[in-house]
Amino acid sequence: MDLETLLSYKWSIMTPEFIILGVATLLTLLDLFMPKSVNRKVLGWIGLTGILAAIASLISLLGHGPESILYDTFRLDSFAKAFKLLLLIGAAFVMLLAISYEPKEGITEYRGEFYYLFLAALLGAMMMSSSGDLITLFVGLELLSISSYILAGIRKKNLQSNEASMKYVINGGISTAITLFGMSYVYGITGTTNLLDMARSLLALTDIQHIYLMGLALFMILVGLSFKLATAPFHMWAPDVYQGAPTPVTAFLSVVSKTAGFIIIVRIMMVVFFNTPSSYIPNSMPLLIKVQDYIAFLAAATMIIGNVIALRQKNIKRLFAYSSIAQAGYLLVVLASMSVFMFDTLWFYLGAYLFMNLGAFAIIQLITQKTGSEDISQFAGLYRRAPILAIAMAIFILSLAGIPGTAGFIGKLNIFMGALAVEPAHYVLVSIMIATTVVSYFYYFGVMVQMFFRPAAEQEKIKLPIGLGIVIGVCAFATILFGVAPSIAFDFLHENFNSFSDFFQ
Amino acid sequence: MENAWIIPLFPLLSFLFLIFFGKRLKGASAYIGILLSLASFVYSLLVLFERFSSPTHKAEAVWLTIGDIQLTAGFEVNQLNALMLVIVSLVSFLVHTYSKGYMHGDDRFHVYYAYLGLFTFAMLGLVLSPNLLQTYIFWELVGLGSFLLIGFYFYKEEAKKAAKKAFIMTRIGDVGLLIGMILLFWQVGSFEYDEIFAAVAAGSISTTMITLTAILIFVGAVGKSGQFPLHTWLPDAMEGPTPVSALIHAATMVAAGVYLVAALFPLFTASETALMTVATIGAITAIFAASIGLVQTDIKRVLAYSTVSQLGYMMLALGSAGYVAGVFHLMTHAFFKALLFLAAGSVIHAVHTQDIEKMGGLWKKLRVTGPLFLIGTLAISGVPLFSGFFSKDEILIAAWAHGNTVLFWLAVIAAFFTAFYMFRLFFMVFSGESRSDMSHVKESPGVMTIPMVILGILAVVAGYVNTPWFGTYLGDWLTEGNAALGHGHIEGPSWIMIVATVVSLLGIFLAWLIYCKRSLSRDWLGAKTMYNILYNKYYIDEFYELTVVKVMKFFSLFLHYIETFLVEGLVKGVSAAVSGLGRLGSKFHDGQVQRYGTVAFVGLAILIVVFAVTGGYLK
Repeated sequence: MDLETLLSYKWSIMTPEFIILGVATLLTLLDLFMPKSVNRKVLGWIGLTGILAAIASLISLLGHGPESILYDTFRLDSFAKAFKLLLLIGAAFVMLLAISYEPKEGITEYRGEFYYLFLAALLGAMMMSSSGDLITLFVGLELLSISSYILAGIRKKNLQSNEASMKYVINGGISTAITLFGMSYVYGITGTTNLLDMARSLLALTDIQHIYLMGLALFMILVGLSFKLATAPFHMWAPDVYQGAPTPVTAFLSVVSKTAGFIIIVRIMMVVFFNTPSSYIPNSMPLLIKVQDYIAFLAAATMIIGNVIALRQKNIKRLFAYSSIAQAGYLLVVLASMSVFMFDTLWFYLGAYLFMNLGAFAIIQLITQKTGSEDISQFAGLYRRAPILAIAMAIFILSLAGIPGTAGFIGKLNIFMGALAVEPAHYVLVSIMIATTVVSYFYYFGVMVQMFFRPAAEQEKIKLPIGLGIVIGVCAFATILFGVAPSIAFDFLHENFNSFSDFFQ
Repeated sequence: MENAWIIPLFPLLSFLFLIFFGKRLKGASAYIGILLSLASFVYSLLVLFERFSSPTHKAEAVWLTIGDIQLTAGFEVNQLNALMLVIVSLVSFLVHTYSKGYMHGDDRFHVYYAYLGLFTFAMLGLVLSPNLLQTYIFWELVGLGSFLLIGFYFYKEEAKKAAKKAFIMTRIGDVGLLIGMILLFWQVGSFEYDEIFAAVAAGSISTTMITLTAILIFVGAVGKSGQFPLHTWLPDAMEGPTPVSALIHAATMVAAGVYLVAALFPLFTASETALMTVATIGAITAIFAASIGLVQTDIKRVLAYSTVSQLGYMMLALGSAGYVAGVFHLMTHAFFKALLFLAAGSVIHAVHTQDIEKMGGLWKKLRVTGPLFLIGTLAISGVPLFSGFFSKDEILIAAWAHGNTVLFWLAVIAAFFTAFYMFRLFFMVFSGESRSDMSHVKESPGVMTIPMVILGILAVVAGYVNTPWFGTYLGDWLTEGNAALGHGHIEGPSWIMIVATVVSLLGIFLAWLIYCKRSLSRDWLGAKTMYNILYNKYYIDEFYELTVVKVMKFFSLFLHYIETFLVEGLVKGVSAAVSGLGRLGSKFHDGQVQRYGTVAFVGLAILIVVFAVTGGYLK
């Protein structure tokens, strides 16, 4: 590749990525050369500015047709734009959480690293959402993963944080191995790493043995990537890591990292395996449709495991770990049902989940870092100590539980409708989802009972740092807004992303 | 009517205002709540009068578009909605007023009024909804309001438990409603009531589907209206403040289930099986709860079981194609049951106990509450000329005319039980001598008695809007212009009215013999020793123990055991299984990182093996 070709690329479509990369580099340098006495919190605000700038540049890119550079390895289609927007908004909130993060033993020495590692992880996630090639996809995935491993263990003197990081690395290694093994089969059969090229050559696949190998590859990639989603059978790391990691990192893992996982899974599944036939007869049903029941089974198992084990949890972060496993299970239902508005549903639910879960984590961070304890009983009497906080938390919890009037309800309703709209309708899956949702009321309402119906252990007022205040306020507002007027979000989606029709172009 | 959407906004305003500024207002919160609920009542009344002379008004706008599906939101004022608006806003207004006296001195006074506002908003919104989805949304909000109000006395362990139980039990019913609703949506392509009815009338839905969806939706109503077997939350919900019981667990929320069935009446009438299910569940609930009411000693629990039983009557009426009878009884019941609860609240306020064994002789002390309680008791017992008489009569006629003979007789027996236990309650509270120290007892303040007087008047006269003697105005108006709802009045043999009267008088007489005669004889003996009094009591009790009471008690206890062991056992079993599974799961989750990897590998292996074996790729 000579310089001329290099310059001929339309680099402007990568502006958001460049901004994040630039800010991350800037933060590294600043952290290195700034005198020790300067509070590193200012770096967090710079990072946040960078993320906001990236959001602005992404919005300016809306409305253009799909474009790709670097031999189709980086593509900016409406799918990438829509989901990248979620990643960036989520990351902005996480950054605000990180700015307000004050662990007991202090984090002064590493505070700078804390911020630029977040940006590096975000960059990985953004690359994943835009990649049109297995190589870039994998590099993005690893960039996200490796940054997250360090982030989980950033409290170096905290035993739990170390344990979390260690477990995360080991499980991550296993997942990477499985994913790569699956990808190698796909590469072996098609002879290319480009996703769209793969799709084209797979369409002509007639050898039944090759199709069978593609099936194995599908399962390996699905299971390997389910590590990122924290869904069955690769969910077990989540509670330990969520509990031990610093709260902003937990929030990041449960929202941004999970969203990235869904992006990559949808990209691979829909492009590669949706175009793989399931038998040698021409025009047979796609392989992905054929294995629908398996995905449905994994979704059901995830919902049951997440919701049922959550009942036994006393630690709030562990409770939310299981809750986030369950939420990922609901999202897998979307993937299993594959209705015509699958992308819309996924996008809306991930957006709603972003607001309600990050809002809840902001409050969890505030309550737990004050006392150092993560027991649910810390929430006792919150309504008397800080009524506005308690109401905000109630909004988030009601939304997670899917009570009408909140964004979570609209999201769940869309999932139900999608699962029942297809032929044959997934009655069993929907019933399991509803039944496990009812189970989830027990633990969600356990927190509500603590907040509203228990006397407070201490009467001290709670001081709200500005960063957390912004997150809680915006998230609560958005959760209600998209619950009452969801058409705002859907109209935005329809106007800017033309129904994701350019996904296969 | 075009502005009927304003009605729910008044209480919403009250909720928002009080939640943010209530702490500063303290006692003045009550005035805001009362004033705004009065505003919505006046407005509802105007809407009702306007509805008399003009046709149904409906306004809608697109709310949400998913793919090519459009969901709408709006409001509708038809006859049923207009009537419900007035009932809900009136009872809410009276409860707001009454609570000012009852909750006086509570340090979370403003929170209480805020919750009341939230609940009233949700209930009025529910009543105005023109489609199933919107109904469902408000249906859940109503449940949330009820959850907060039941758990209001959060320092009581029972209240917390009751709040959680109420929410979760009704949610179980809601699962049925949600599934039924979505199924119906895919059959009809709309959540709109009108379009659903049109599709049912045009026969574009298979009969099996109609039956299935109707029964699923009825499951939601069973949960909300405390029907057998999901009724156990309602008596426990009495842990909330008494005015709340009057508003939510007597007049409005529990009636929402009945309202839902009434609102979807054309769907139910299209399936004989669905109707039969509704009628059977209703009749079973009516007699089941009435018989449990016979042995309760907590004044509010007696009323709670009587509510369950009366709701069963309404379901029986609807299930017997008696649309008018069901709605009519819903209305009269709202008035007399709210009256009974408020009067019970007034008694509790005066004597500070809910145990009727400790009461007695309050007639002379509570000169206002006593007669009002008597009016409510007469009305619920179905004594002629009171409102309950006319509506209960309509129900019995509907059941008979529909050919449900067995259910008809069950309802008659339940009517006998009702008269008996209600008068047992009345005599034990108000007649004879007090059975504990009652020297400090004072009548409640005017702010509490005036709402009761208004309800007392309504409990007497509300029946006259629909009588076989003076004309069936309500029935004619309700069914006007909609043949699917049946006739305004169902003709029935006149002996039914006589049977109903005789049965209720018999119940009252029996209660009088057991619980009042005893004290009469005590008065008559006058100066006799304590021993004699005890002896006499023993003697009479013994006599009746051996005869009627024993049989009834046995029957009642038997049903009580069914409730404790079978119904609660089933619930406990399910929850134990779930939490056992949870325990097993978290035990398995022991922190060993090797195990996590193993699980992933085993999961992958299972998937691949199953795929290989069943996929047809291995030969």
